Amino acid sequence: MRKFILPLTIVCIISSFFLAFQLKIQTKNTNFDAVSQKNANLINVIQNLETEIENQENQIETMRNQLNEIQNQNNKGKLQDLQQEIIHAKIEAGLTAVNGKGIIITLDDNKEGLNTAPNDDPNKYIIHYEHILNLVNELKIGGAEAISVNGQRLVTTSEIRCVGNLILINMTRIAPPFEIQAIGSPKLMAESISLGQLDLLKAAHYPVTLEEKEDLIIPAYKGELQFKHTIPQ
Amino acid sequence: MWFLLPVLGLIIGTYLGSNITFQLPPIYIKYMSIAVLASLDSVFGGIKAILEDTFDGTILLSGFFTNALLAALLAYLGDRLGVDLYYAAVFAFGIRIFQNLAAIRHHSLTKYRQRKARIRGERNG
Repeated sequence: MRKFILPLTIVCIISSFFLAFQLKIQTKNTNFDAVSQKNANLINVIQNLETEIENQENQIETMRNQLNEIQNQNNKGKLQDLQQEIIHAKIEAGLTAVNGKGIIITLDDNKEGLNTAPNDDPNKYIIHYEHILNLVNELKIGGAEAISVNGQRLVTTSEIRCVGNLILINMTRIAPPFEIQAIGSPKLMAESISLGQLDLLKAAHYPVTLEEKEDLIIPAYKGELQFKHTIPQ
Repeated sequence: MWFLLPVLGLIIGTYLGSNITFQLPPIYIKYMSIAVLASLDSVFGGIKAILEDTFDGTILLSGFFTNALLAALLAYLGDRLGVDLYYAAVFAFGIRIFQNLAAIRHHSLTKYRQRKARIRGERNG
């Protein structure tokens, strides 16, 4: 073997490695954007956290079911009254799925409007968190007893918050189309929102529908109500 | 058979380079391209040295690493100072690659002609 074989082989390995690696990078990311790569990592983190949240919510649900079973097993005498009280408290807190008559409101971004006027400010055509917040407030004025938005039950700690182009409710991201379900007197609630936000949305040509339902099922709050600093008096 | 080893090296390097899943942060792509140039320069320099019979493995390898390091250092310094010193490295390596290639071409052509002349001479003689 000649003396130059080994060094030349090493240099060949390194240089072809660099070449292939560089080629791969360049062909993969012709328009390399540092921000988008960072975003991809962030999206990954968010998705992982969301699946984790989902798992934990499911765990909470199974634990709660177990607890309910145990509580229902020995209901004799005095305990029975306490059980009833707990059940009532849970319904009022939104920790159980409920059904009854009510209304369903669906709303979506005004895509047609945006398509016909593509140079206009898109903010004028999308549903903002304020719209949902106003609708929910007006439903409450109309005597809504249980409200959910896209399957997220609204409880005392629920937030309706703007996070970029999505809305956060119960720390869960929610995207259009939105479906607000509310149990209560359909007539009162419909009147309440028709004099307010619903008509404003209709006037702005958003695709909004209002539907009265005889039997509506609203899911339970999936999270856990935690009171760390509250002391009952 | 001896010439197969560098070729095998090329294949191994290409395989490794195209199969690596490591994500290079985009700011280092510049440094990577300099490394590519430095290594290409070394390959051509090595071939040239073989043809000129002045080959020395230690010189080749040390030259490869110091060149790559100096180039990376220049690019880094350029980034810090806001001067594109990176182009100095690209320029230098580019010129050297061309020079080495020219030397390889000269040597191979002379050798080829010499051999041809020798064969002709043998035939005539």
